[in-house]
Amino acid sequence: MTQVVTPETITKKGFSMKMMKRLIGLTSLLLIILLFLLPIVRLFVMSFKHNDQFSLINYTIILAEASTWSMLQNTLIVVVGSTLFALLLGVGTAWVMAYTDIRWKKVIQIFIIIPFVIPSYIVTIAWSQFANSIDVIDIHLNSHLGIIFVLGISHYPLVYLFTVTVLKRIPKELEWAVRSSGGSSWVAFKRVTIPLALPGIVGGGMIVFLSNLDNFGIPAILGIPANITVLSTAIYQEVIGFGPNAFARAATLSVLLALVAFVGTGLQWFLLRKSKLSETASIDESPRYILGKRRKWLEIPLWIFLLGISIVPLLSMVKTSLIRAYGLDFIRENITLKHYQYVLFEYDKVLQSMGTSLKLALITTFICAVFGTMIAYIRSRKNSSIMRFVEVIVGLPYALPGMVMALSMIFAWMQPIPGWNPGLYGTAWILLIAYITRFMILQVRGSMTAISQVSIDLEEAAHLFGASTFVKWKTILLPLLLSGIVSGAFLVLLTTLTELTVSSLLWSSGTETIGIVIYNFEQAGYTTHSSALSVVILGLMLLLALIVYGIQYWWKRRLSKG
Amino acid sequence: MSTRLQHVKKTFDGFQALKGIDLTIEDGEFVAIVGPSGCGKTTLLRLIAGFETPTEGSIYMNDELVANANNSMPPEKRNLGMVFQAFALWPHMKVKEQVAFPLKYHRFVTSSLHKNKTKRVEEMLSLVGLQDFAERMPGDLSGGQKQRVAIARALAPSPALLLMDEPLSSLDAKLRIELRNEIQTIHRKTNTSIVYVTHDQSEALAMADKIVVMNNGKIEQIGTPKEIYFTPKTEFVAKFIGKANVLNGKWRENYFFPLKDETVKWQIPDITEDMKRQSKCPIRPEQLTLSKKGNGIPGGVRNVLFQGREIHFTVDTGTNTIDVIESIHASFQVGDRVVVLPK
Repeated sequence: MTQVVTPETITKKGFSMKMMKRLIGLTSLLLIILLFLLPIVRLFVMSFKHNDQFSLINYTIILAEASTWSMLQNTLIVVVGSTLFALLLGVGTAWVMAYTDIRWKKVIQIFIIIPFVIPSYIVTIAWSQFANSIDVIDIHLNSHLGIIFVLGISHYPLVYLFTVTVLKRIPKELEWAVRSSGGSSWVAFKRVTIPLALPGIVGGGMIVFLSNLDNFGIPAILGIPANITVLSTAIYQEVIGFGPNAFARAATLSVLLALVAFVGTGLQWFLLRKSKLSETASIDESPRYILGKRRKWLEIPLWIFLLGISIVPLLSMVKTSLIRAYGLDFIRENITLKHYQYVLFEYDKVLQSMGTSLKLALITTFICAVFGTMIAYIRSRKNSSIMRFVEVIVGLPYALPGMVMALSMIFAWMQPIPGWNPGLYGTAWILLIAYITRFMILQVRGSMTAISQVSIDLEEAAHLFGASTFVKWKTILLPLLLSGIVSGAFLVLLTTLTELTVSSLLWSSGTETIGIVIYNFEQAGYTTHSSALSVVILGLMLLLALIVYGIQYWWKRRLSKG
Repeated sequence: MSTRLQHVKKTFDGFQALKGIDLTIEDGEFVAIVGPSGCGKTTLLRLIAGFETPTEGSIYMNDELVANANNSMPPEKRNLGMVFQAFALWPHMKVKEQVAFPLKYHRFVTSSLHKNKTKRVEEMLSLVGLQDFAERMPGDLSGGQKQRVAIARALAPSPALLLMDEPLSSLDAKLRIELRNEIQTIHRKTNTSIVYVTHDQSEALAMADKIVVMNNGKIEQIGTPKEIYFTPKTEFVAKFIGKANVLNGKWRENYFFPLKDETVKWQIPDITEDMKRQSKCPIRPEQLTLSKKGNGIPGGVRNVLFQGREIHFTVDTGTNTIDVIESIHASFQVGDRVVVLPK
């Protein structure tokens, strides 16, 4: 038998390839650890340092202060309260949307999601204006209840989104089986629907819990003036206050906050692990409770609720932005556009901040789209323990409360190597690095969803019929994944554009972001200006959404046309 | 092109999917690899395609080493075509683009095929009877039509080896028979070597020149359909391919004694020495008959399944059950005492 190629020759050639691949892999892994994990480790270490020595003194001091305990108590009240409120609203709307035959479900879904898409500080400003405009009763939003209410409104869409798919995935036949075994529809609901939906509901609840814990805008705008401090605002005030030992104290508070968040994440992981089973079931869109003519008695209150929650406060904010001076009646003589004129043309920080935010958002989106998709691809196609580890690490900066994450960025980049200060802190670069590390996971998840819908067969077929890796990406993967990648990228873009929490610690004069400018207006009492700018930002977001929707629509049509 | 696998082993996370495979696929041969699910047949096919690397052993194509434990030539560099189980048609490409894809990128395509892509696409589509569907998207095709596109795409570059992974398993029974004939016709016309993986023994028997029966990551027997069917070497092959009863007993030359007391003596020719050595006698249901009395194994009728052309009986002998296929004129009822005899 004549062998044209001996094993030795191809082994040699392959050996160098293998080494090369391994080297690239190792370097990337190291880079990911340095960027995503190390800052958090350093923050953790920082909290145990006092005068350059390891000690627990930061903890003993902070935990001995009465203000710490009242702050922790505030946090607990606010976070648990708003989580329960969000669960109530979210599960209720999800059940109605999943199982009844009410009309206009697609439109209703958009209205449900609005308060979640709008940055929470804008929602807060809108609600403040709305509460002030009601004369009949005195609504005091600067209170525990007020914070709970606005947090709940901002985050209930998360519960809704989680629960509605779980409910739709519960096979109708399981309920029918109860009925045919002699159980009433109530028994079916109690013994089948609820137990099967529970992991999803609780999972959604945990995510809301984390979001409530993480939120800065709402407790800052509503809580700080009323002296209600929670963990996230406490860290902010430590750092901004620049007191003695400020960073070490903030780090200690951050570890406390991260601890709470980690317990939450762990619980969520544990609960969602159980719900995996139902993911194989397909989504059933058909209504299960036919209300027929009676449905209007459900539809009318639902619409009042949705408009009241999503739209009316925004209208109040628009009204405020048009009024000549705060507190005047909304009549023709008092209406003016001068606030818009001021924020857009006279106060140059606004346009400058829009430029900064837009630039940061675009670069972040681009970098996340490229690297996030790469990580997602390798993670999806190679389910190794290393890649699972990478996914967890990349997710960490997002799982952590934003305030903690921002603080870790300061520590990590002020002096990346002891003695060397690259001068990133105080410039826009630290914001860029922070945004990329924090939001990378959003793109990874979005791209992973898209990739999971492309069967590996399609790639194997491309290779088998002669395509190289480059040709495969160009002709097969990119066309099929583009829509999903764009969805993920759009989420990154919107989130970055209006980010407040991380920015609030990392901004410096000259690198204000949109969120910072609105927040500063609001803190300084320029409500008409913050309202006007909020309206402008909402318009900008709407415009972006339309553009992205248009691109996707055009791309899908092009695909289906061939 | 001839393909040769030498002592190929494959382990996934400690699970040995292939436990040492030696197999040669000659030029122009139609080889069916058949076995139950999980027997390693798909792994074997993926190794030949180049989607997996062997843990041990080597694979040669035309005596050129294409894969061993250290290295593997990627699929795009092997002269292959493949029909995937779930078709793997690219959802964003028209039928004609699917078929043109390998013509554009496959490096073994002859220059005349490469130049006359349009003509070749038409030719392939008419070969599978889809000349009017060139402009359709895969989503607009039925299962059978998708399958034909997949076949046309695999054949378009005129590959030296065509791999088929359960290509008919997602189709309904009638379409399966129809496409079975078609694949056989195409094989005769193109004379490409084919490796056809299936779990359906009747598909393998009907189409292949050579059958490879696999079980638990090992090859049980290689042979022509007739050899495999009539002279199985192992109990597994007898049961899986011929749906045979495998009786325990004693052998003396061509005489088989199914009962312990050796009161029953059957003359059965053509049983392999391997089976005799194990004191086993494979015998297919249609080789047996039922009778009220005679020199056979006594038992009671447990099930009677009327099949139209024939009747399937199950007889309980007290120690095991025996399947017997009788003509529709047999008139035994459940509970009847009978004896089982060779025809």
